[in-house]
Order: sequence, then structure tokens, then C-alpha cells
Amino acid sequence: MRELMILAAEEANAATVVNEFEELLLRIFVVTIMFGLGAGLTPKDFGLALRRPWGLIIGWVTQFGIMPLVTYLLIISVLLPFSSVEGIMLVALGALIMGSVPAGTTSNLFTYFSKGNLALSVTMTVNSTLWAFIMTPAALFIYSNFLGLDESLSIEFSELALVIFGLIVPVALGMFLRRLSANIGAVLELIGGALGLLFIPFLIIIWVPRNWPLLMSTEWPTYAVAIGMGLVGITAAYYLTKLFKMHPMNARTVALETGINNGPLAIAVIIAVYIDNPGIDQILLVPALYSLFIVLISTAVTLVFRRANLAAEQKIPNLL
Amino acid sequence: MTDAIWLDHYPQEVAKELPEIPHHHLPSLMGEASKKYSGQKAFTQVMPNGMNGTLTYEKVDELSDHFAAYLREELGLVQGDRVAVQMPNCLSYPVVAFGILKAGCVIVNTNPLYTAPEMVHQFRDSGAKALVVIDMFADRLPEVIGKTNIETVVTVKISEFFPAVVGKVIRGVQRYWSRSLPPVEVSHTLFKDALAKGKAQASGKDYLEGIGRDSLAALQYTGGTTGVSKGAMLTHGNLVSNTIQMLQMNGKYIQEGKEIVLTALPLYHIFAFTVNLLGFYYVGARNILVPSPRPPSNLKRAFENYKVTWLTGVNTLFNALLNERWFTDRPPKHLVASAAGGMALHESVATKWQEVTGTPIVEGYGLTESSPVISFNPLGGKVKIGSIGIPVPSTLMRCVDENGKPVKQGEAGELVAKGPQIMKGYWQREDETNSTLVDGWLHTGDIGEMDEDGYFTIVDRKKDMILVSGFNVYPNQIEETIAAMDGVTEVGVIGMPDEKSGEKVAAFVVSSLQEPSREEIIAYCREHMAAYKVPSMVTFVDELPMSPIGKILRRELRDGALATASSSSDTSKGA
Repeated sequence: MRELMILAAEEANAATVVNEFEELLLRIFVVTIMFGLGAGLTPKDFGLALRRPWGLIIGWVTQFGIMPLVTYLLIISVLLPFSSVEGIMLVALGALIMGSVPAGTTSNLFTYFSKGNLALSVTMTVNSTLWAFIMTPAALFIYSNFLGLDESLSIEFSELALVIFGLIVPVALGMFLRRLSANIGAVLELIGGALGLLFIPFLIIIWVPRNWPLLMSTEWPTYAVAIGMGLVGITAAYYLTKLFKMHPMNARTVALETGINNGPLAIAVIIAVYIDNPGIDQILLVPALYSLFIVLISTAVTLVFRRANLAAEQKIPNLL
Repeated sequence: MTDAIWLDHYPQEVAKELPEIPHHHLPSLMGEASKKYSGQKAFTQVMPNGMNGTLTYEKVDELSDHFAAYLREELGLVQGDRVAVQMPNCLSYPVVAFGILKAGCVIVNTNPLYTAPEMVHQFRDSGAKALVVIDMFADRLPEVIGKTNIETVVTVKISEFFPAVVGKVIRGVQRYWSRSLPPVEVSHTLFKDALAKGKAQASGKDYLEGIGRDSLAALQYTGGTTGVSKGAMLTHGNLVSNTIQMLQMNGKYIQEGKEIVLTALPLYHIFAFTVNLLGFYYVGARNILVPSPRPPSNLKRAFENYKVTWLTGVNTLFNALLNERWFTDRPPKHLVASAAGGMALHESVATKWQEVTGTPIVEGYGLTESSPVISFNPLGGKVKIGSIGIPVPSTLMRCVDENGKPVKQGEAGELVAKGPQIMKGYWQREDETNSTLVDGWLHTGDIGEMDEDGYFTIVDRKKDMILVSGFNVYPNQIEETIAAMDGVTEVGVIGMPDEKSGEKVAAFVVSSLQEPSREEIIAYCREHMAAYKVPSMVTFVDELPMSPIGKILRRELRDGALATASSSSDTSKGA
């Protein structure tokens, strides 16, 4: 959620910036949501995700294979030919970083709402975050070379550890509480789900007005990249899983997990590495837009997935 | 008369005749368990999201005493008065049911999904004076109550007896999210107020004086699938006997005080009423009540959170579970056995169930009119898949021809049965009683066969038989054959009028993938059956009309098919 602070700080008048409180609120939101999601899981769910590692392997391939590639293709086919802004290579660099980071908690939330395999989603997030230590710099190195940029970056392991910690602790605690009492677990899950629903409009309400000038001054090719990454990423991963004949639940999970990357992580990495770069605004542009639009895209995708799930649900006679 | 050759196949621990039962009515039978297991958990209701509430044996006993006092003291009901009960599985159900029986009144189980006219018929026919109803379905009452003798309506909440906070959350979700709480527009008493009134007036009076084995305990309505619904009069003796007969047959597989049984079938249905509510209560089991197993994923949390040892169900339920990935991935570890009844258990389902869970599934047979268990496969003995097993202790069963004469072993005939569980008759329907109960034999309307071991197999319902060019064709066999094909979820087979052969075989198939194709189904049938049995008509449908427990309603299927056929021929004429 750090992007909110940064952008707000840049775009808004310093006197109106009150988002330390908002940031705290968002953190509480995310932890409570993960806590609630955890309360819906059992250790056996994770056992299953690990026992059938295909989902995990395919997810790994789509995460680090598809997303950076999709981003690169969007950059060379849309952003570079059609954009006239100065410093466009910096925008491209930001997009590449966004495309190369792993998934975050947002993907877990949408998997839950899509009736996907939540245990697989959480496992995939942890897995891809661990791998990000090697894979994110590697993907960035390869594609920035293709773009003629000579960029390299390294991710602090502590950044990744923080992500994993923030994910595993609430989930484990939620699982523990459910074991203690199914009633507490169910109530927590309900609260987590409700907060998850509120989370979407809340994010939009605090994001959009404050960044209105930014939204107005951004060119369409940049939008196309920021929106296209998630949309094409989810679609491509979904059809790939279909090719492997994955169970629809797992296919939905892998698709969302692939397309939804960890926006806050990308922004944190950029700030850590490029804080002295005068073009940091441009580098942050795509990650900031992506973080907003991925929530909207995922909501739409979730509605489609839910409808498909309902259609596939077993119709058994009224036993009531 | 048929020799009881099946007795040779009784496992050692199963008595051939029912032992002397010291209990003359249900409250006495239930009372023994309430005392013996007082501190143990008797009922746990589990919502689809895992929220739950529990009542101990002691609590059920106490609360049902209060409800009995309410009925007798507050409402002034007397012995033999009928009380209708209309609710899904929930913690209130056992309290209400036991309360009615303790008051010496008669329980009239009613399907909560009944339409207003169906409710009117059942309430009028039974002459019920009071109704206990779940508030979620109370919106139909204004058009019903005035046409009946019902003087008092008591409404229960689905979250009754839940921990306070959880109960409020469920209530809030019902009210504001799912909007499933219609306003109750008839004068009514809340269940908790009724209990409080009963408690205040409880005097420890014996409401059961004079109630014995022959006294009426339940009017259980049946025959909705054949025509007008009529009340089977089940006595205390019928239900006490059948409870013990069922338990006897399962021998040591049901351990006293240790079982956890998943009750996904509705308790208002006679199968779950006798087997789960009465039987498993009597042996000190914990009943996990699921209000609605629809969709089947509603059962997920119940299986995850409780060490289920027994499951009772119908073919539809077992089949649905086998099609759920969460179930097949992690079949219940503690399961000992499952009992199937209510409708034919398909061999393909039984075999797959045993493969997936690694535990036996035994099929039994019975009718509402027989409380319901007549026969069961003995768990401790020879279990024959595809067979309904052997008669339970103190029960006789045979196949007879049209004149009521027993047929030779191995030949098909109408199944008739005799035993202490057979109903007294139909409520206020002498003619129907006389045609169903002949010399103490219950005529089931099912065609069956007995093999050389005394095991019975159902061939089909007498009235569902299809006559193709003079050959008897039984829809069950064709359904079973088609159901075994990959991709087929459900199938219903009926006879349709045909100019050439009199009747022709028509199959209605539910398949999510639209495969196998029509041609494949017909080819498969050709391979497995005589040519005259092969359907000449295969239609794909989204769903089949089914009874509340999942029996395919062939009559409705036929009516629908005939209507479609005539309207399409009209169109073709017009065009």
C-alpha cells in the first residue's frame, strides 16, 4: 500500500496528506483479510497442494514466464511505438519491474472470491515470492537487455521475507483459531470476506481523487500497458492451464495468481533502488496504475469465474 | 410360505428374533439414552460455513420436557392430538419431535418445501392442531392456516440454541444479506417463548399414561409420488421395534457412545427419522445435522470439522459426493460404514464408494409404511452389492404373484412383508389400507426376486414397468446401465406410448459435458441388454424431476414428456 503514500505525497498538496492513518487502516485490512482467509483453511488443504505439485510448477512457469514476456510484448508493440512522452524508457523499466515481481495477497483474496483453490493460491504466493530473489532480477536482466537498457537490480531478501511473514503469520493464526473453535473460524472468515469486499471500493475511493491529475495526464499507451499486463496475463495463464487440463478450480487460481502481481513490492523495490534517480516518477507510473486497475480487472474476472463455477455446480435434488 | 432361508446368513451376533424390549413407547426408549449419555453431545448442527451449535443428551431431554409441558399445559392439547412439524435439520427438530412424543401427541412430519395447497392437504387430512415451523418458510402460512384446524403456530429460528454471537451473525446474514426471513403474518409464538412457558408450567406430570405399543406416534405422509398423499399410521411399537431391528442388523459396527453420524438427509423423512434420530440417539451417538446438503459442498465443513464414523444417505447423495473433488481427495478418515436406502443404490456408485472411502456401504430397503426398515445387508456377514439384503430380525418377506401366492425362489413377484414395524394402516383411509395390508402382509408395490441365499433384489416398481411388445422391461435396469457410463450424471427411464410396440423405452439423460452422445448411449445399451430393452428415444435434459430425497419422479417425467410430445406434434401439424 506504499504506493498510495508515495503518489499522494507527490501529487497532492503536502498539507492535505493524511494517509499515515489510511495506510495503517489498509494494513489492518490486509492482515484481517488474510486472517479470515486462513480461518477457512486446514493443514490438509496445504498438504494436497504440495502432494500434487503440478499446480505449483505450472504456476511458477506462468508467473515468471508469462508475465514478464507479456509486459515486454506490450512495451514493444504499444508503448514504444505510440508514446511521445520524454523518458518513456523509464516508464518501460517500471513496467518491466512490475511484470517481474511475484504475486501478493490480493491474488489470494480474489481466488477466495472466485471459489478457487485458496491453499494452492497461498502456497503459490509463498513459492513465487521465495523464487523472486533469483527470478525477478533474472527476468528484468533479460528483458531490459532486449530493450537496450543496461539495468540490473537486486532485491533485498528482507523485503521478500517481510511479504512472506505478513502472509504466513495471519493465515497460520487463522487456521489455528479455526482448529480451536469452528465457530470462531467461521466468524473470522465472514469478517475477512466482508472486509475484502469493502477493500475494493475503499482502495478506489482513496486512490482516484488524490491521483486525478496523474490519471488525466497519462497517455493511452501507458494505460494500455498497465491494464493489459493483468488482463492478458490472466487470460494467457488461464488458457495455458486449460491446455494442461487442470481442474477448473486450480485453473482459476493459477490464472489470478499469474495476472495479479505484488504492486506494493514492486514499488518498494523501485524506491530502494532508484531513490536517487531523477526519473523515479516515471518508473513508478506503471506500477501505480497497475495497482489500481488490477483490482478492477480482478473484480470483473472474479464475476466471470463465479458464474462459471455456479454453472458447473452439481444440481442435486432438493434434499431440504 | 417362504422359508426364512436368510436366517443362515445372519452374522453370529445378530439375534434371529427381536429380544424382549422393555420399552413400550418412544419416550421410554429415548429416556434410557438421555440418562445413560447425559453429559455427551447428542446433536451438532453445522452450517455450510462451519458455524455450529450443540445440544447434549441432558439438554435435549430437559428442553423436550419443557416443550411437552407447553403443548399439554399451555395449549391444552391431549393425548393423540396431531402436531405438524415443518423444518429442515436443525437443533430444534429433536427437541420438538421428542417433546411431541413425550406429550403423548402425534408428530406429523411435513416437507418444508411444500407448496401452500400441499400444506393445506396434509394439515387438513391429519387434523393437526398445532404447527411448529421454521420462520424462513412461514410466508406461505396466511393462505394455509385459515383452511386448516391449526390453532397455534410456533416459529423456530435456524440458529436456535447456537452460541449467542454466532446466532446473531447467522440472523444478520439471513436478514440483511440473503434476505431469507419473510415477515410472519399470522399470529405465532416464538419457540423460545414456548419453551419458557412450558418450563414455568412443567409439573413433572406423566403425560404418557395409557400410551403403549399400539398408540399412534407419527402420521407419516407418503404416496405423493403416486397420487394423493396419505398418512401412514406408525405406532410407538412400530418405531421402537424398527429402531432395535435396524441396530441389531448392524451389530458391532455401531458402537455405543462412540459414533458420529452425519445426518444430511432430512429428519422429516422416515429413513433419517428412524435410523438417525431414533437409532443413533439410542446408542449414544453424536448426530451432525446438516440443514441442507444442496449444493453438496455444504457438507465440506461438516466432514472437515468432525470425525464422521457413519453416514446415511440415498444414491443421489453418495453419487453427488463422489463427484466432489474435495471429497474424493480427502475421503473421511474415520468412516466405518455407510447405509443407503430410500431408493435403489446403483452398483456403480456402491463400487466407487467402496474404492474411494475404503469402507463398506450397505443397502437396505423399506417403505414409509414399514417405519421404514424391512431388510438390510448384514454388515458383519455377506454383503451383496445390488441387493437390498435380508429381512431384519422378526421380519418375513416374500415375493408373490397377482393372486398373492408366493412365487418360486428366483422368480419375480411383488414383495410383501410382515413384522412388528408394519404400520397400523392409512389414516382415515380404510379402502387403501385394505388393499395394502392383506392378512398382515404389507404389499409394497415393488417387484423383487429372492436368490438362493434368501437375499432380495428389487427389479422395479410394479407401476413403472414398461410393456414393449409384450415383454416386461424394468426401467431400473436400463437406468443402471446408462448411469455406469462416464459422463452421465443422472438418468431417468420411462415408457412412452408407441403405435408399433404399445410402449417404447425413453431415456432422459443429465450430462454436464453432453457426452456420451445419443448414438454412444444406444450403442452401449445394445452391447449390454436385449434389443427390446434398448431405448428408442434418448433425450438430454438439464435436470430430472426428483422427490425430496432424490428419487426420480418417473410419473412427472412421463407427464412432461407426453406434454412436450403432443405440443411438438401440434406444431408439426400446424407447420
